Formats: sequence, structure tokens, C-alpha cells
Amino acid sequence: MTNQQSQSFSFMAMILNLCGYFLLMEWLYPIDMLTDTSNISVFIYYLAISLLMSIFRMRNVLRWSIKIVYILYVLHYLYFRGSFFQFTWIDDFSKDIFINLTSVFQSDWSGLTESFRSLLFFVLLSLMTYLISYWLVNRKQIFLFFFMTLLYITVLDTFTPYNADQAIVRTMIAGFVVMSLLTLNRILEREGIRKYSGVSRRWITSLVVMLGFSIIIGFGLPKAEPIWPDPVPYITSYSEDSGNDGPGISKVGYGTDDSRLGGPFIGDNTRVYFTHTESRHYWKVETKDIYTGKGWETSAEKEQRIPFGTVDPIPASSFASPEMEFTERTSVVYPLVDYPHLIYPLGSQYVQTNQDYTFEYDSKLEKIYSFPSSGAALPNLDEYTVQYNSPRYSVKAMMQTVNHNHPSLDREFLEVYTQLPENLPQRVKDLALEITKEEATWFDKARAIEDYFDRPEYKYDQTNVAIPGEEDDYVDQFLFETMTGYCDNFSTSMVVLLRSLGIPAKWVKGYTEGEFRGTAESGKRLYEITNNNAHSWVEVYFPEVGWVPFEPTKGFSNNVQFNFDNYSTNQNSSANTPEQENNPEEETLQAEQQTTSSSNSPYSFQVLWDSIILFLSEAWKKILAASLILGMVLLGLYKIRLKWLPYFILFRFKRRRQDDDFPAAYLVLLTHLNRYGLRREDNQTLRDYAADVDEYFSSKEMGVLTSHYERYLYKGHLEKGSWDETKELWENLIKKTIA
Amino acid sequence: MSRDSMNPTIERILKNIENVMIGKRKVAELSLVALLAEGHVLLEDVPGVGKTMMVRALAKSVSAQFRRIQFTPDLLPSDVTGVSIYNPKEMEFQFKPGPIMGNIILADEINRTSPKTQSALLEGMEESSVTIDGVTHILDKPFFVMATQNPIEYEGTYPLPEAQLDRFLLKMKMGYPSVEEEIEVLNSTQRMAPIDDLEPVIDLEELRDIQQEIKLVTVNDSIKRYIVEIANQSRTHESVYLGVSPRGSIALMKAAQAYAYIYRRDYVLPDDIQYLAPNVFAHRLILRSDAKFDGITADEVISEILTRVSVPVQRLVK
Repeated sequence: MTNQQSQSFSFMAMILNLCGYFLLMEWLYPIDMLTDTSNISVFIYYLAISLLMSIFRMRNVLRWSIKIVYILYVLHYLYFRGSFFQFTWIDDFSKDIFINLTSVFQSDWSGLTESFRSLLFFVLLSLMTYLISYWLVNRKQIFLFFFMTLLYITVLDTFTPYNADQAIVRTMIAGFVVMSLLTLNRILEREGIRKYSGVSRRWITSLVVMLGFSIIIGFGLPKAEPIWPDPVPYITSYSEDSGNDGPGISKVGYGTDDSRLGGPFIGDNTRVYFTHTESRHYWKVETKDIYTGKGWETSAEKEQRIPFGTVDPIPASSFASPEMEFTERTSVVYPLVDYPHLIYPLGSQYVQTNQDYTFEYDSKLEKIYSFPSSGAALPNLDEYTVQYNSPRYSVKAMMQTVNHNHPSLDREFLEVYTQLPENLPQRVKDLALEITKEEATWFDKARAIEDYFDRPEYKYDQTNVAIPGEEDDYVDQFLFETMTGYCDNFSTSMVVLLRSLGIPAKWVKGYTEGEFRGTAESGKRLYEITNNNAHSWVEVYFPEVGWVPFEPTKGFSNNVQFNFDNYSTNQNSSANTPEQENNPEEETLQAEQQTTSSSNSPYSFQVLWDSIILFLSEAWKKILAASLILGMVLLGLYKIRLKWLPYFILFRFKRRRQDDDFPAAYLVLLTHLNRYGLRREDNQTLRDYAADVDEYFSSKEMGVLTSHYERYLYKGHLEKGSWDETKELWENLIKKTIA
Repeated sequence: MSRDSMNPTIERILKNIENVMIGKRKVAELSLVALLAEGHVLLEDVPGVGKTMMVRALAKSVSAQFRRIQFTPDLLPSDVTGVSIYNPKEMEFQFKPGPIMGNIILADEINRTSPKTQSALLEGMEESSVTIDGVTHILDKPFFVMATQNPIEYEGTYPLPEAQLDRFLLKMKMGYPSVEEEIEVLNSTQRMAPIDDLEPVIDLEELRDIQQEIKLVTVNDSIKRYIVEIANQSRTHESVYLGVSPRGSIALMKAAQAYAYIYRRDYVLPDDIQYLAPNVFAHRLILRSDAKFDGITADEVISEILTRVSVPVQRLVK
């Protein structure tokens, strides 16, 4: 009976543990997404290992040794070089721990190293696993934890981009199963009902049916839209004190209103264009020239549209000098969404389409609009070809510009493109001077500012981006406070920094080249542009050359070609300039590698798995032979255990002289006699059994030992010197089993 | 079991009894257990096997006052407890104590009398006092009843209800002596000194002291758990209609304490429990009628339960 009971208990315990760990894992999933903790999988594996071990009820010693080895292995893999088994890293690790402990005592939290933080996190997880099993096994209560998990998930779902649709379902199922089984457990215990009786079967059946029913109903029923609006924008706007039309979370994509920048956005994979191009280049849509401190507006009071046809050149002039080096190229664009504007590369000359469309060019916004020429309703523009001059900027020419006293610089032009809001904080201007203090030419200054954003303090992030409050300046906030943002933050900041130095610059919006999708038969490359590719960058004016694009945003690169013939690399300007000369195809490759490597963590189980597989394939014969031999040896040892085990037992108790050791020794003797073949039935009393044993061996030892043990067990009292007195008898009995 | 030597006093009492009773050591021992544990005994046996002789010898050995009540259908409660009689000389009622006012009482053929009379005795057993005409008379201590029941005759008998049976600490059977024993009985009848010549071994004061000492015998928690486990199993056993009550568990513990004392131990062993359980528990079970029909006896049920429950051999871990 007891056997069955323990079995059913362990099955129940397995389910309970499983669900408990599911709940715990729900706490881990969002961490990966919301913090910059990488390799979250190692922690999940850690939980899985702990779970398995507690299901199989391993001994504590074994359990903890496995856990510790795993933790050390992971820490080594993540943070240390060299082989795991060379143990030299242990030295580094212990030093590391010592240093970190010092930091802890000094409350220097930011001084903790990553390895120590990971170690602490492992410790936290161990505590949590212990707590959960304590709740499940001893307290038989989990509601608090379940509730906290739900709260955690729902809060994250509401206030962060974490999508908890599935997590909620998982949590509910796991939580209900745990709570119901625990209730069953409590009832069984209280009423003294034998487990595995009809009660628990009925209980579990009805639990499964109810859970299944409610899940199906929950999925199947239509869901009402939320009655309350999403609270997040309200809360952010209140907390930021930014009035009533705070932007909130926006979707990435192309919009025309840039008067209020900032705030997080979520990705959108909607395809908007499909292009065939000869080279990789950004696509412009429009530019803005007035920075308001919160965003961008245009200086044009009314639209200045110039109509042109498919045979007319675009009435735009991006380049100052006609002597520039160009490559004539064409790109074909297939719009997938009906926008009134076109996308075009820098240096566009002609726009052609077979459809009956005419175009207008807004010279202020540098924006091209398309219209059906007859004014009648026509099918959407679905294909057009842009012919453009791909420039190769002469660095030599650009280097000539050192100040505003260039004859071609118009005063009015300068005023527009060096415009800044009056309340721009002084520290922004100081920073611009600081960055460029060692640069003489405009080009070097622009490069210095562009490079400035490569610093590690600046992070590219689409979600954790602040909205400037009423008193804040968008650029100032990004440069000095948040240092986290996406293209708008980087490009706007660069424009503002440049303008504060008096260098004319404007803010350009459009799309990056998009995702490379293969090569067409014509040799052109196919790109797919989605809303995720919406982008903003900077154009800087050089009197000798014209507008030159710059890319301050981290992780992006514009394929701009510079002619470095006569440019000696300045000590401060970046040494990686030739990179910009790269073959476009390689660039694409690089870009793709970048995207894959960003998802590929430095440590992954795939790597570990591969190395294990490799090792196994090389050495499987040896391993097989070794394990066979080992198995045989173990089997042999097991077979002859009665020959050597008594010596081991004798050795084990040889040095023990305390009376407290007597009960243990007696129990060992019982087990050993049982192994020897003198079986004691469960219902047989020790005294009876001792009589049997003594009869078998024709001895008296067992009786004497047993009477001492009986006194210890049933009287709760062990006479002094019992073990000394009986040790010899005990040894005799053990020895008798050898004979 | 045999390894433990007996308490010398008890040994002498048993020897004393054996002088007049041959071959009934186990019954004498169990009767002593009940006497020392302040309980009562129900003897179920045919007449003529020496019940009276044994009880009288026991009473004599402990210097106790022996009384005998022969139960008949027309016996009245007052015949047991005593009666108040008007004494014209003194002009007042005088209490004439009945046979229950003794130390060791043999209640012969208790199932022959009416339930009313039975309950007069049983009340005395339970409360150690009797109430007559509104006056409560405390019975002397020790107070030990040995009731006998004839299992053969059912005609005109009033079997004791289960609730009453629960009040007996032990129930036992005497049984016939073996051939050798019976020959020895015949021999001894020819030469044996009459029972009146038995010398007391201890006096009542000493008996009361022993009863107090027995209460100090250790019953380890693991043993208590063992007792309760047996009792519990009797409640869920498939042949049992009504299992052992907690009073039964208490009885087993007390009996085991007395038994351990007899064998000079100040702690109870599982062996004691196993030895006493059939005598303490069997008469407290009510079997299902189908089990009875199958010929299963309460003794068998108890022994089966004893094979199922594991003996505690390690300390309880809490």
C-alpha cells in the first residue's frame, strides 16, 4: 500500500513541479526581450535541469554538484577564455568574485561585472526553485506566486512591447492545474483518503475536462474590443507632462508629420516598395529644414510645386558643380502602396513611367508627387523608372571649405540651413565645439560628428525611447540624457550639432535600400522595402560639391562614394573610410551577416551540441569500448558485492567510536543482512528477526545488538558505551557474512 | 520473547497460581496484565476448565477480597450492588453491600442475566462506583472483574452488546488442557493442598504501587503510531463492519505497558503489541455478515492486519 501511495505521490509531484517551473519560466521569457540580457536560454536550460532533477528526486548532493558544474561551465563559456578543464580560469573567476564582493560591500552596484551578475542571477534562480518546491511540497499553496506571475505578465503586456497573448494562456493553464492539484492534495491529506482512490481520479478527470472546456471556449468566443483605451499613452503623457497630443507608441513607417519626434515604435513588416537597382542606395522622399526643438517642420509657407513630365529633367539641383564625377544609372520602382509621393535616389534626373501620369516637384521639401495626367481616376502608379547620376564626391573639393566666407554661399540660404531654435541648450553647442575642436574643415567636422555617434554610450533602440517633455529639447535629451534612440534621434542630433557650428545641413527622410532579395536576369539587384526600412539621415552642404549625405545612425551605412585621391587621413578622422568604397554586393552580404549575427548569440547550445557531436563521431568506438568495459566491471563488482562490501562497511565504521554511530551501524547491518539473504519481513519485529539471525549463524550477537537498539529506538535512550561494548559483536556479524 | 526475564514478584504470583492451576500460564499472565493495567477480563469458555480456581488463586496471591456472582436470569441489580434494609432496632435504613463490593469479582455466566443487571455490573466496572438509592458508593481499589461467558448456549441468554464488550480490556479463552496437563491435573487433585493454603505474595498496597509504576513505562511515538496504524487498518478492513475505537487503542497501550512491566522492561516493544493485539482488539470488532458467513473470525482479521502493518525499526523523522 505504501508503495502505491509513494508512486502516486511522485506522479502528482511531477505534474506539480512541471507546472511550477512553467510559471517560473514565464518570468524569464520577457527578460530577453525587454532588457539587454542575452543568452537567456542558459538560464532556461538551468531551470529545466533543476526541474528534471527534482522530478527524479535525485539526492541533494548530486543535484547540487550538477547545478554547480553547470553554472561554472556556463560562466566559463560566456566570460572566460581557454579550456574549461584547464582550471586556470578558476583563478581569474575567484579574483573576479572577490573584487565584486568588495564592490557589493561598497554598494557600488554599477561596478559589478557581467559574470558576477550572471552568477547572482543563477543564485536567485536556485532560490526561486527552492521556494517553489517549498510552496508546492510543504505549504501546498501557490496562489500568491501564480497571482504575481499573472500580474507581472499583464503589466509587461500593457506597458512594454512584450506580447503576452500566449504567455497568459500558458500561465492560466499551469496555474489552474497547480492550484487544483494542490487543493486535491490538501483535501486528501486532511481527510486521510488514500491516494489513487476514485476520488483523485474523478477530481483529475473533471479538472482536465473543465480546463479543456474553458480553454476552447476562451479561444472560440468572439472578443470585445477593450472598453478602455490603451492606458500607456495617457500615462506617458501625464508622466512626461507633455500635454494632450503626445505621440505614444507609433508604428514604424512613413509619415509626413515630424513636428513631434520621439517615443517608442513597433516594427511593421508591410511591404511598400519593390525595386530593381544597379547599386545600393538610400531612397529619398523629402527633406525638412526647420528644427523646432521637438521635431521638424518646413520653412515653406506654401507649396512651391513645379510640374514636369516624363521627358523633362527633374527641376532639382543637388550638386553644385557640374564637373563632378557621375555614373549614370537607372532604378525601377514598383510601389505596392498608393502614396502620392515617389521615392528617388540622390541625384535623380528623370522619372519615366508607361502609365499616364505627370509629376510635380516641391523644391522646398524636395518631394516628387505623381498625378494621373488627365485628372481622371486611374489605376495606381505601379511602376516607374528613375534615371540618376550616382555621384562620386571629391574629398579634395570638400576639404576646401573651412568657413562661411565662400562666394557661393548665399546669406538667405545659410540662414535657412543653419536655423536653430532660440532655446537650444548651450551644452549642445558646447558639445559640437568639443567634438570638432581639432578639425579644421567642414568635411572633417562633419565626419567627426558622424563618428561621435559610434561611441558605446549611444545605443540604437526602437522601444526604450523617450518623448521630450514640455521643457526638454529633443536633441539635448538624446545627446545628454537618454543616449538611446533610433534614426530620428541620431540624424536630428547631427543636423543640430552641425548647424550650431554654422555648417548648413538638412534632415532627409526616406527609406534605406531595403532587403536584398536576389538578382534579376538584367543583372539588377532586387530589393524589397518594408515600413521597417523607413529611415532618416543627414545631408550637409559643401559649396564646392553640393549636398552630401551622411549617416550618423548606429548600425546603418549609406553607400556614398568618396574620392579619397588627395586626402591624407587626418589623425582624428576615422580610419575606416575605405569601408565606404566597398563593393555594394559585399555590403549587402555584410548587412545580412549583421542581421544574422545579431540574433546569433556568442554562446549557444548549437555550438556546444555540434562540438559534442563531433567529439562523439570521432571517439564513439573508444567510448563504446570504455563504457562496455566499465559496465562489465561494475556488473562484476555488483555480482561479487558480498565479497567486498563487508570490508567496506567494516572500514566505514572502523574509526567511529561515538555512541551516536551505533544506530547507523545497526541499520547498515540490517540492510547488509537483507542483502546477504536473511530477509526481514516488514511486519517482523527486530527481536524476532534477531532470533532468526542468531539461529542461522548459531550466534548470540544479533540478540544482544538488537536489545541495545530496541532500547535506543523504543525507550529513546542509549546507554553510554553501547557502541564500544557491541562493536565487536557487530564486526563479528558482518564478518560472518563473508564466510 | 523468552530472553526477557520476568519481574520476580510477578514470577512468584504466577508460581502461586500454578500451584493450583496447571498449564494455564498464558491465561494467568494475561489476567495479571489486565489486573495490573486496571482493566477487566472477559473469559469465554465452557464450564469446568478452572476459571474460578484461577481467579481465586489470583485474589489470594495479591491479598485481595474475592467475590463471586453467579448470574441467573432472575438476578436483580440490587443482588449485585447491595441494598438498603430498614433496621427496626436502629429505626433507620442500613446499607447491605452486595457482592460487587470486593476487589476481585468473578462474574460467572454474565450473559445469562437480564441487561438491567448486566449494566449494574458494567457501570461499576466503568465508573469504579455504584449508586444505590441516590447514594454513591466508591468501590475499593483495586477493582478487577473477570466475567465469563458460555459460548455454547444461546437459548435464554442475553449476549453483551458491542458497547459493553468495549469495556473489557482483554478477552481470552481458556481452552482444554493438553493430555499431559490433564493427567497432571488428575494427579494433583489427589495430593494438592487446598486453595485455602495458598500464601499471599503481595498485599493490596504493593499491588496499587505496581499499578502506578506501570503508568511510567515508556511508549515511544513510533510504537504509538504502530498501535494507531493497526487500529486504523481495522477500521478500513474489508471484512470489518465496525473497527476498533480509540478506547481500544488506549486499551492496547495500557495492556502493553503492563506486559512490558511483567517482563522487567520500562519500554514497550512492537513484540508486546503483536502479542496482545488479538486479545485486546478481537472482541471490539464487528465483522460484516458476509465475512462471518465465510467463516472469518475476528482473530484472523487481527492477525492479517498485523502482517500488513510494518514494524517501526527506525526513528520517526519529523
